Amino acid sequence: MLRFLLHRGGQALVAAFGVVTLVFFIQRLTGDPTALLLPETATQADIEAMRSALGLDRALWVQYVDFLWDMARFDLGRSFVQNADVWDIILSRLPRTLQLAAGALCVALLIGLPLGLIMALARERAVSRWIMGAVLAFQSMPTFWSGIMMILVFGVWLQWLPPSGTGSLAHLVMPSIALGLLSLATYARITRASVIDELLRDYVRSARARGVGTGRLVRKHLLRNALIPIISITALELSQLLAGAVIVETVFAWPGLGLLTVQSIASRDFLVVQAVVLLGAFVTIGANLAADILYSVVDPRVRLGAKA
Amino acid sequence: MSAAAPARRSFRAADLLSWWPAWLLFALVLCALFAPWLAPMDPDRQNLLARLKAPGFEARGAVYHLGSDELGRDVLSRLIYGARISLSVAVLSVLLSGVVGVTVGMAAGYLRGWTETVLMRLVDIFLSIPAILLAIITVAVLGPGFVNVILVLALTRWPRYARVAYGQTLAIAERPFVRLSRAMGASPARVIAVHILPNIVGPLLVVATLEFGLMVLFEAGLSFLGLGVQPPTASWGSMLSTGRNYLATAWWIATFPGLALFLLVLSANMIGDRLSDRIGKG
Amino acid sequence: MKHTMRALLTGAALAVFALPAFAKDLTVDLAGEPSSLDPQVQWNPDSYYVYRNIFDNLVTRSNEGEIVPEIATEWEQVSDNELVLTIRDGVTFHDGSALTPEDVVFSVKRITDPAFASPQLGQFNQITGAEVMEGNKVKLTTNGPYPALLAQLVKLSIVPKAVVEEVGDEAFNAAPVGSGPYKFESWDRGVSVTLTKNADYWGEEGPFDAAIFRAVPDAATRVADLQAGAADLVVSIDSDAAAQLQNNPSVKVLSAPTERVAYLGLNLDIPPFNNLDMRKAASLAIDRQGIIDGLLQAGEQPVAQLASPAHFGYAEDIAPFEYDPEQAAEIVKAHPDLAATPVSFGTAPVFDQRVVQALQQMLNDVGFNVEISMTDMPTYLAAARAEDRAQRPGASFGRWSCACQDADGIAYPLLKSDSSWSRVNDPKIDELLEKARVSLDEQVRKDAYAEVAQIVRDQYYVLPIYQAAVLYGASAKLGFEPTANESMFLNRMTWEE
Repeated sequence: MLRFLLHRGGQALVAAFGVVTLVFFIQRLTGDPTALLLPETATQADIEAMRSALGLDRALWVQYVDFLWDMARFDLGRSFVQNADVWDIILSRLPRTLQLAAGALCVALLIGLPLGLIMALARERAVSRWIMGAVLAFQSMPTFWSGIMMILVFGVWLQWLPPSGTGSLAHLVMPSIALGLLSLATYARITRASVIDELLRDYVRSARARGVGTGRLVRKHLLRNALIPIISITALELSQLLAGAVIVETVFAWPGLGLLTVQSIASRDFLVVQAVVLLGAFVTIGANLAADILYSVVDPRVRLGAKA
Repeated sequence: MSAAAPARRSFRAADLLSWWPAWLLFALVLCALFAPWLAPMDPDRQNLLARLKAPGFEARGAVYHLGSDELGRDVLSRLIYGARISLSVAVLSVLLSGVVGVTVGMAAGYLRGWTETVLMRLVDIFLSIPAILLAIITVAVLGPGFVNVILVLALTRWPRYARVAYGQTLAIAERPFVRLSRAMGASPARVIAVHILPNIVGPLLVVATLEFGLMVLFEAGLSFLGLGVQPPTASWGSMLSTGRNYLATAWWIATFPGLALFLLVLSANMIGDRLSDRIGKG
Repeated sequence: MKHTMRALLTGAALAVFALPAFAKDLTVDLAGEPSSLDPQVQWNPDSYYVYRNIFDNLVTRSNEGEIVPEIATEWEQVSDNELVLTIRDGVTFHDGSALTPEDVVFSVKRITDPAFASPQLGQFNQITGAEVMEGNKVKLTTNGPYPALLAQLVKLSIVPKAVVEEVGDEAFNAAPVGSGPYKFESWDRGVSVTLTKNADYWGEEGPFDAAIFRAVPDAATRVADLQAGAADLVVSIDSDAAAQLQNNPSVKVLSAPTERVAYLGLNLDIPPFNNLDMRKAASLAIDRQGIIDGLLQAGEQPVAQLASPAHFGYAEDIAPFEYDPEQAAEIVKAHPDLAATPVSFGTAPVFDQRVVQALQQMLNDVGFNVEISMTDMPTYLAAARAEDRAQRPGASFGRWSCACQDADGIAYPLLKSDSSWSRVNDPKIDELLEKARVSLDEQVRKDAYAEVAQIVRDQYYVLPIYQAAVLYGASAKLGFEPTANESMFLNRMTWEE
C-alpha cells in the first residue's frame, strides 16, 4: 500500500511538473503582456523597454530556470498586470471558488441523489422516465444561456436575488444552481445505476424476503453501498467544477479562479496563469489519485462479503 | 455482474415513437444535409434596414419566418445552416478525440509497464490544463476557424476516452481468451483489434453519445468566449451567444437556436442513457 | 394581484437574505477590475475611472473639452522648451499633508524615470526636467518644442512624495493616497474598489458618500444589474443593449461623441490594398451613413480623416467620402486577380462585431474576398504590429484613442513610417508630422495636419469611418454628462431622490 502510494504520488508530482512546464512554454508562443499593458500609442522602443523591465527579453531557458528556482522557494512572483503578489491574488480568489464549488456540489448532491434513488426504486414506472428526462434537460442548456435567463427572471423581474456579484449567501444561489445543474445528471445517473445494482443482490432479496421495509432498506443498506461510486465520482466532479466554472463566473461576475484564469490568459499575465494551472493540476491529479486509491482499496464486494 | 439483459420484445409502433430522440437526430441530419434547398434565404445576407424584426416580418418580398437578427439576417436560414456547423463540429470532434483517446487508453491498458505510466500521466497532464488555455493557444498558434474548433475540442476531450478505454482494457486483458491468444503469439496490435476493441466498444459508445451532446455545448461555450467558428458563419452556439444580449428586445434570435440546441443535446443524452441501460454501465 | 404576490415574495426573500442597501452610495459596474490604483502605473479605462477620482491632475478638461486649471492654476510657456506652472495653494492630500511644488516635481520625475518603467512613459518622455521655482511654481523642461505637452499633462496625476517614499510603490498601489474628491477606502480583490467622499476637498464635492466600482465582465449582466437597481451606472454597452433600457422608466441611456475615430486599416504592403484603385473601391463600398443609422444610432458622425472635431488639428475642409457600390464593383471587376486575393480581416472580441461583419459584407458585395479572422486581443495585437508588415492582417478595424485630443496622438502612431502601428510609408507625411510635432505655432501645426489629412484622403491609406460615441446606462436619478475623453468624475455628477 505504502509502496503504491509513494509510486503514484511520485508520478503525480512528475505530471504536475509536466503541466507547468508545458504551460510555461505554450503560453509564451503567442504575444506577451506588454501588448495590453502599454497604451495604443506606445512605440516599438516603449514596448522593448517594458519587455526588458518585466524580464521578458531574457532567453527563454533563463526565464524557465528562474521560474523553477522561484517555484522551489514557493515564490509565485508578482503579477505583471494586476501589480500584486500572485500568492495574494490566488488566496483572494480561492475562497470564492471553494464557495461556488461547494454550493454547486450541494445542488447536485441534494437534488441528484434523491432523484437517482427514486428512479431506481420506481424503475419500472413512467415517473422514472419523466425524472430522467428532466434531469437530462438540465444538462442540455449552455450555462451562458441558463445563467442570463436566471438573472433576468430572479434578479430583474422578480427581484428575489441579487443579479450578480458577491457579498451574501443570496449572491451564491444562482451561480451554484447554474453550475450544479451540470453535475446533477451525473449524480442522478450514478445513484440510479448503483442502487439498481444493489437491488439485484442476494442480501437485498433476502432482506426483502425477511420483510424489511423499503425505507429501512434504503437507509441501512442501499445508500451506504451505493455511496462508494458516488464518492469516487465526487473527486473527479470536484476538479471538473473548479475548471468548468469559467462561464458561470463570467456571467455572474463571480470572482473565482475560473474568471481569473480567463482574464489572466487574455492579458498574458504569465505568472498568474502558471500559478492557477499548477493549483488546478494538483487538484485534478490529486483527485484522480484519490479516485484510483478508492477503487483499489475499497472494493465494494469485499465489504459486502464481510457483512453478509 | 451488471443489470440483467433487457427482455427482447417484438417491435411495435410505440417502440418507434419511444425512439423519438433518434428520429429527431435523423431529422436534424437531413436538415443539415439539405440546408441549401431548405433555407429560404442566404444565411449570411445582411440587411441593416431590417434588423431585429419579429417573426413574420416581410421585406423586399421575403418573409422572415423566425425573424431577423442583429444584422438583419434571416434567423430561420441561419438556423438551418447552423445545424451543419453544430452537428459536424460535434461529430468530428467526437470521432477525433475518440480515436486518439481509445488508442492511447488501450495501448496503456494492454501493454502496461512504462507505456502505461507515460501514457496515463500524459492523460493526467492534459486533464489538468484548463480547456480555455488550450483553446486560446490553439487559436493563437494555428489561427481561428472550423477545423481548429474541432482540434480544440479533441485536444481537451481525448483523455476522457483514454481513461474509460484504459479501465475497460485492464479488465478484458485478464480474461482467459485474451491470455490464450497472447500465449499463441498474436501481436499486440492484433489482440487489441480482434479481442479487446470489440469487447469494450459498448461502454465507449455510451461515452461517445454523451460526449456528443457535450461537444455541442462546448462549441457554444467557445462561441461565447469569442473562440468559436468565424463570423459570419452561423452555428447554433454563436447565434445563441449573440442572441442572449437581445432577450428583452428580440427574443427570437436566441430562443430558436437555443431550442434547437437543447433538443439536439437532449436527444443525444437520451440516446446515451438508453444505450447505457442496454449495454451496461457507462 | 400578481404584483401583491411579487411584493410578498420579495419581502420574504429580503427577510431571508439581507440585501445590501444603496443609500446615497453610487455603484458603478465596470467591465474589469482596475489593474492598478497608482495613477503612474498602468493606464487603462477601468483603472482610470477609479483612480482619477482619488487623484488630482496638473490640468484637466472641462465637460466641453477645454484645458482648465486643476492643481496648476496658471501656466506660461517661457521659452520653446520650458513651461512654468503655478501650483494651487491650500490643497491637502488625504493624509492631511499639504500638496507642494515638491510633490509635483516628484510626480513628474517618478513617471519619467525609466527605472520606474511606467507603461505611460511614452506619453511623458519628452519631459527632460522638472524643478521647483520661487513663488509656488514648477518649471518643466522638454527636449525641444513640444506643443502637445499640456494635452499630455491632462493625464499627469500628482502623488504625495512623502507617502510614496515612506511606504514604497507596492504598498502605495494597494492603498493609494491622493488629493482628489474621493478617498480610497478598500479594495476587495477581484470584486470591487470602494471610495469615500473627501469632506475637505478644495474643489467641488461629490454628491455621494461612497462610490463602489465593481468588475462585471458580461455586458448582458451589467445591463441586468442596472435594471435590477443593483448598479447605478454601467459602462461599455452598445446601442442594442441601450435599446433594452428604453422601456424602463427608472433607467436612462447617456451618450456623447468621443475622440475615438473608427477606421478600416488596410495593409499597403500586400495585395489587394497595395493598389490605390482597390483602396478607393473599398472606400466607395462602405456605406458609412448606413452603418451609423442602421447599427450604431448613438450620435456617431461619418468622418473623412483620422481626427475628430474634438481634436486639435481637425481639418475643416476635407471632403466627405462617397458611397457608390456600383462604381466600386466596376473598379474591382477591372482587377480580377487582385479581387480574388483573400483578405484576412483581423479582429478581436472587444471590437464591435456588428460593424466588423457589416464591413466584411459591404466589401464582399462589390467583389472583394474578405474573411474575418477573430482571435483574442494579445494575438490580434501581435499580428497587427508584426515586425514584417507583409505578415500583418490585410484589413483591420480599430477605434483609436490617444486620450490627448491632439492630432499628433493619432496621426503620428498610425501614419509615421517608423511607428509600430503604421502601415504607411510616405516621406511627405513623415516630414509634415515631424514639423507639426515640434512647432509651437498653432497655425503651422494645423496646416500640416490638414495637409496630412488630405494626402491620406487622396491616397486612401487608411479609411476613417466614423467618430465613435460612448454609451452609458444610468439610473434615472443620476445626473452625469459624458465627455469626449470618456472621463467619469464623481464630483461632476448629481443625484436626485
